[in-house]
Amino acid sequence: MKKKLLLRPMLLILLLIAGLANAQNIVVSGKVINDNGLPVPGASIRISNGKKGTAAGDDGTFSIQAGNKSTLVVSALGYATQEVTLNGTGVTITLLKSVKELSDVTVTALGVKRSKRNLTYSTQEVKGEVLANSKEPNLVNAMAGKVSGVQITSSSGTAGASSRIVIRGATSATGDNQALFVVDGVPINNDETSNIGGGAAGAGSNRVVDIDPAIIENITVLKGAAATALYGSSGAKGVVMITTKSGGTDKKPALSLSSDLSFEKPLLPERQTKYAQGIDGVFYDGENNKTSASWGPAMDTLKINGAAAPRYDPFKSFLRKGITSNSTVSVSGGGGNSGYYMSYSYFDQQGFIPKNDFKRHSIFAKYNTKIYKNLTSTFQLEYSNSNQTRLPEGASNGPLFVVLVQPISWNPLPALNPDGSQRLYRASRNAPLWAIDNISNASVVNRFIPILTVNYTPFSWLTITERGGADMYTEQDKYTESPSTAIGLPGQIRDQNINFRQFNNDLIVNAHKQFNKFDVNLLVGNNIYTNYSQNTNLRGLGLTIDDFNNVSGGQSVTASEAHYQQRKVGYYAQANIDYNRLLSLSLTGRYDGSSVLARDKNFYPYGSAALSFIFSELFASSLSDVMNFGKIRLSYSTVGNDGVGAYQLGTPYVLASRSTSTGGNFPYQGQPGFLLSSTLGNPTLQNERLSEYEAGLETRFLNSRFGFEASYFYRKSIDGIIPGVLISNATGYSGTTVNSASIENKGFEFLLNASVVKNNIFGWDLTFNFTKIRNKVLALYPGLTQLGRLIVGQPYNIFYGDRYERNSAGQLMIDATGAPIGAATQGIVGNANPDWLAGLNNSFHYKQFGLDFFFDMKKGGDVQNDIDAVADFYGTSKASENRAPFVVEGISVTDNKPNTVAINAQTYYRNTRKYESSIQDGTYIKLRTASLYYRLPPSLLAKTFVKSASISVTGRNLWIYSPHFTGADPEVSSYGAGNGVVGVYSFSTPTSRSINFSLKLGF
Amino acid sequence: MKKSFFILTLFISTLSGCKKFLDVNTDPNNPVDVQESLILAPAELNISDNIFAGNAAIIIQNYLQAIAPNQENPGLWNYQLFNIDVDGDWSAVYVGGLNNLNILNIKATASGKSNYAAIAKILSAYVLGTATDIWGDIPYTEAFKGSANFTPVYDKQEDIYKSVQTLLAAALDDIAKGSTVVPGGDDYFYNGDMAKWKKLAYTLQARYYMHLTRAPGYTAAAQADNALQALNNGMLSNDDDLKFAYEGGAGNENPWNLTFGPVTTYVLNATFIEKLKATGDPRLPVLVKKADATGLYAGRVIGTPPAGALDSYSYPGNFIAAASAPNYIVTWSEALFLKAEATFIKSGAAAASPYYVQGIQSHFLKSGFDTASAAVRSYINSRSITNANAIQRIMEEKSIANFLNIENFTDWRRTGYPSIMKVLGALSEIPRRLLYPESELLGNAQSQQTAKITDRLWWDQ
Repeated sequence: MKKKLLLRPMLLILLLIAGLANAQNIVVSGKVINDNGLPVPGASIRISNGKKGTAAGDDGTFSIQAGNKSTLVVSALGYATQEVTLNGTGVTITLLKSVKELSDVTVTALGVKRSKRNLTYSTQEVKGEVLANSKEPNLVNAMAGKVSGVQITSSSGTAGASSRIVIRGATSATGDNQALFVVDGVPINNDETSNIGGGAAGAGSNRVVDIDPAIIENITVLKGAAATALYGSSGAKGVVMITTKSGGTDKKPALSLSSDLSFEKPLLPERQTKYAQGIDGVFYDGENNKTSASWGPAMDTLKINGAAAPRYDPFKSFLRKGITSNSTVSVSGGGGNSGYYMSYSYFDQQGFIPKNDFKRHSIFAKYNTKIYKNLTSTFQLEYSNSNQTRLPEGASNGPLFVVLVQPISWNPLPALNPDGSQRLYRASRNAPLWAIDNISNASVVNRFIPILTVNYTPFSWLTITERGGADMYTEQDKYTESPSTAIGLPGQIRDQNINFRQFNNDLIVNAHKQFNKFDVNLLVGNNIYTNYSQNTNLRGLGLTIDDFNNVSGGQSVTASEAHYQQRKVGYYAQANIDYNRLLSLSLTGRYDGSSVLARDKNFYPYGSAALSFIFSELFASSLSDVMNFGKIRLSYSTVGNDGVGAYQLGTPYVLASRSTSTGGNFPYQGQPGFLLSSTLGNPTLQNERLSEYEAGLETRFLNSRFGFEASYFYRKSIDGIIPGVLISNATGYSGTTVNSASIENKGFEFLLNASVVKNNIFGWDLTFNFTKIRNKVLALYPGLTQLGRLIVGQPYNIFYGDRYERNSAGQLMIDATGAPIGAATQGIVGNANPDWLAGLNNSFHYKQFGLDFFFDMKKGGDVQNDIDAVADFYGTSKASENRAPFVVEGISVTDNKPNTVAINAQTYYRNTRKYESSIQDGTYIKLRTASLYYRLPPSLLAKTFVKSASISVTGRNLWIYSPHFTGADPEVSSYGAGNGVVGVYSFSTPTSRSINFSLKLGF
Repeated sequence: MKKSFFILTLFISTLSGCKKFLDVNTDPNNPVDVQESLILAPAELNISDNIFAGNAAIIIQNYLQAIAPNQENPGLWNYQLFNIDVDGDWSAVYVGGLNNLNILNIKATASGKSNYAAIAKILSAYVLGTATDIWGDIPYTEAFKGSANFTPVYDKQEDIYKSVQTLLAAALDDIAKGSTVVPGGDDYFYNGDMAKWKKLAYTLQARYYMHLTRAPGYTAAAQADNALQALNNGMLSNDDDLKFAYEGGAGNENPWNLTFGPVTTYVLNATFIEKLKATGDPRLPVLVKKADATGLYAGRVIGTPPAGALDSYSYPGNFIAAASAPNYIVTWSEALFLKAEATFIKSGAAAASPYYVQGIQSHFLKSGFDTASAAVRSYINSRSITNANAIQRIMEEKSIANFLNIENFTDWRRTGYPSIMKVLGALSEIPRRLLYPESELLGNAQSQQTAKITDRLWWDQ
């Protein structure tokens, strides 16, 4: 500090000497403050007709050498530019916040704030209130449809279920394709957990669900590799930057309360209700003769003991009311040198599927303070407690499977026979009502995310930032399943504990200087990242004590433990050079090391170069009155990625286990046992690489009333890591990890903003985004052309399987009985990738009233409809309601002429259907949210202690149009957020339609 | 200036320190090496669970009409098979099976534990022989090389048969070394009784000689001679059987017990039950349970619509498929039927008859019958053989003793007995092999992979 004190007089002396040399110049010292009287650090001060410029220090002060009557041009991010004519040697400049310019500030990689104007790549921001208005507890779902280039797929309607977010298409063959989530500069974990292997089938929760959307100020989506290059490896799949809310300085405490209550109704597929249980039109009563089929007689004519047969709604006895409440209280404020923000919220969702609940307590506190005049710090802590319970899903053990295809003539009550056994109309499945009481899956996550940021500004042009953050959670999962003779399982309890922690530290040195017309920003930094997780699993198999929820009650008890550790080190540098607000050049470079790669190949460099040209700066004023902003940008980037988990280099021995339906691990019958890993390790594993070209246009018209942005990108992954890629089993191993996959994605993104009508009484804002991405698998592995749903030369994630025989014209081949013939080999039967995605938001406001509605559209993208595949077979699908014999369109193999032989409906639906018949076009348009709100006029509140009050009603999924899909909502991926299960509509909790009532008060 | 120097120093020091910082990729969860006994136990369980009673075995028992699912056509039971359906079986053979047995052999040979080496070779011979009888030409000489050969060429089936005999002969040499290190409880099959392993090796030699009675370039007489010679040192009692004993508790169930579960809907096939009924076989109540709902011995006919409840069909008896039933993989009964067949080839029905009768008796004994009882004697008398019907009756009786054993598929292909008709709604003739797995088609393209299920193997021409 001493040195600093000495420096100041020396600087003055120097300036004095300079002043003497040019008698006309004086030294002006001043301070830049905002309308709250707070300093505006980093404000730029230029002399209007000169070349000199400087920047304000952290305390807002500056000195500059200037002519006597010269004019200073003072500008800062988020403030309206001001011109001040000098009159003396001291000046205080008050900058006013500019609404228009404020929206221009955007958070870029590593939390660096930059003017969107100068960015050389595409980003898109979503405001916190927009996220909150979606009424989705899961941040990922809240973003759905709102950002171009981003595809979000929720797994199911299960309370707390996971969602998948992929930015600019999948580039990794089997690795995680999901975006990185960063909170205030610190990455957080978004794994899909809450699943126990061998426990309840169905999607788990993606861990971003622990973040309370109410604490979010805004999110910024960094899409391309040029935007994320500084994030390195982990940001290669795009980054979602979350900025949390803060307090202010010199601000009175502001209390805000909000309360939401919503009611949910499941969106169930249509079914036939005309025909009773049975086969060939013969009635089976389910008690004395059992069948899973509903190919019985018509209900209208069916008499039981002389009386008309009663109908039973399968859902009525099973489903319950879905009710969600969400309450948030927050307080923010601050004194002269510090500010605070504190928030608590409680989210409580009772799912409409019994035993499915999701509850979350979140506490968030942020405290920022000025320790010394050039030293500031922010400490924040988020704690959340997420609690989910659910039933299994899917076709084997999920009760919903039975409910969805239950005969209309079957009375599911009572659930049990007098002897206590399950009462069921069919074999091979558990009774749904039995499952409610005898199967459970519970998951409790306690999570802490502390972040400490310290900024030190020794010189006005230099800032050193040290930011350390952690993400720590423990997860306790428990799965219990009573013994069941109906499905031949002896009952089991599984208990799992996950202990996860990750630490992230960045040390960033940022220098910012203006030289004449150049504005130069240089940044160097270092990142250290570590993560560790410990999983312990206990299993008690063969339950011997009723209602005793502890593994010790198992006939055989096995345990396992696993630990994973991963570390990364990165060094990075960035240079942003703006010339005269006209041209911007951005260069980044990063050198990463990762612990998971081969020791001699674990460091790798990469970087990006980008240029933007603001051509509207050259416009004459007549033209800029129409088009007030225009920019084109170009970038190239290449990003390295480690793309593989820990310990993939060696081929160890692994604990042996049985592959039977009940399972069983070694030690087996008293003997320990290990077998060689079925995956051959690859000791030469190196980083994969993603290259991307991007070109973009950003324009604004009529004083920014209309805006249009477009981007084109081409990205290609090379040396892609495929863990466990299939190899000939005759090598002794079923897979190995290779560095050879290549996948390309190319696409367009458009974003249109318009304030169609804008006046004090009535306003209409419109936002439209559009995304079209084409992807293609270029290579997997030399000699290998297919890996599950990936086929070289085809889009990512095709549907492949059992199909029909067709002639060269694509017509079905029909046999002599009128039945379509199955092909001898499997083949491609569909493509899960959409042709394009679009979102349209309209906001109207009239005086105190507002109406928002948001449409979301997906064109194309096939869906595998497992529900109707089964319902067709059982005769419960809507299609199976028409039971007259019919002629299948196609070519008869007997005479090579169009088929004329009619087929019986039951035979058609039960005996000729192929996997291909379950693939449907998933095109949809949906009214995702519509919201009506009313803000109490300030005049009404003037005499109360309430500062603001509003009420709103929001409907979700009010309307869905999906012309080719026979289920209820094609936007679902039943088996979770993984790559291989995209586009599967199966026996998971359906999505829902909901009405939400919300009250917000500010004090 | 000092400040930037400080930063530079910090930068350099972290760079040099981080190589070490990243050195945390040693797997704490799985061992790099284990001793022989730890490999042997799971390798034996894999053979019993996944090769003797795995998915391919289930498909084949459908083809043989021993079992039937309570499902409508189409399905694997009416001969609809896709390459991908047998991926797991190929993996059980090559990854779980042969690769681990190969490593076990290498390790045991290096450490001088020749008894472990012998067991590894005998079990390899069994797995290899079973696999070639399912698929014909398969990889062996170029296999198990990991990254050194990602696309092993397939050996001709004739060469696989030679390798099987070579392995068995080498195993006998290993046992002859008389090492004092013998397995204990890690050997689920014989608890380290090397005399029994020796008898098994000879019995397997006989089995694989007899498979080639119709093979091009081989004569039935020569194969019979070889088999008879081997059987001189083969199994001598039911105690010599290669069997896997399951304890039966949760997680320790016999895999066939799980196959006949309520979700798979597998029950016994009518073809099998009707044959037992037709001959008045006293073993019917031991091998077959009455249907719960009807109290009748009732199997299911593949290709008929499902009649509904599973309890209207018969399940296998506890002797076959209780949770604690053993898997009989290679038995003394089989050795006796092999001897009967070989003797018949060489010397006719009269000479073969004693071995044939002994074969039937050995199985009655195992099923809990007094072979001296009138019922058993009268049954055996009714099943006596002549030169005209010897092969048919030997195979029929052998198939009962070998019930649920893949060996029955080989015997049917070699001899046509027990005779079966194709199922209702069959999509082809009765299959004579399985398809190559999808994993091979994708990862190791070879000319043999165009084979259809109705194609005949080399020894089946």
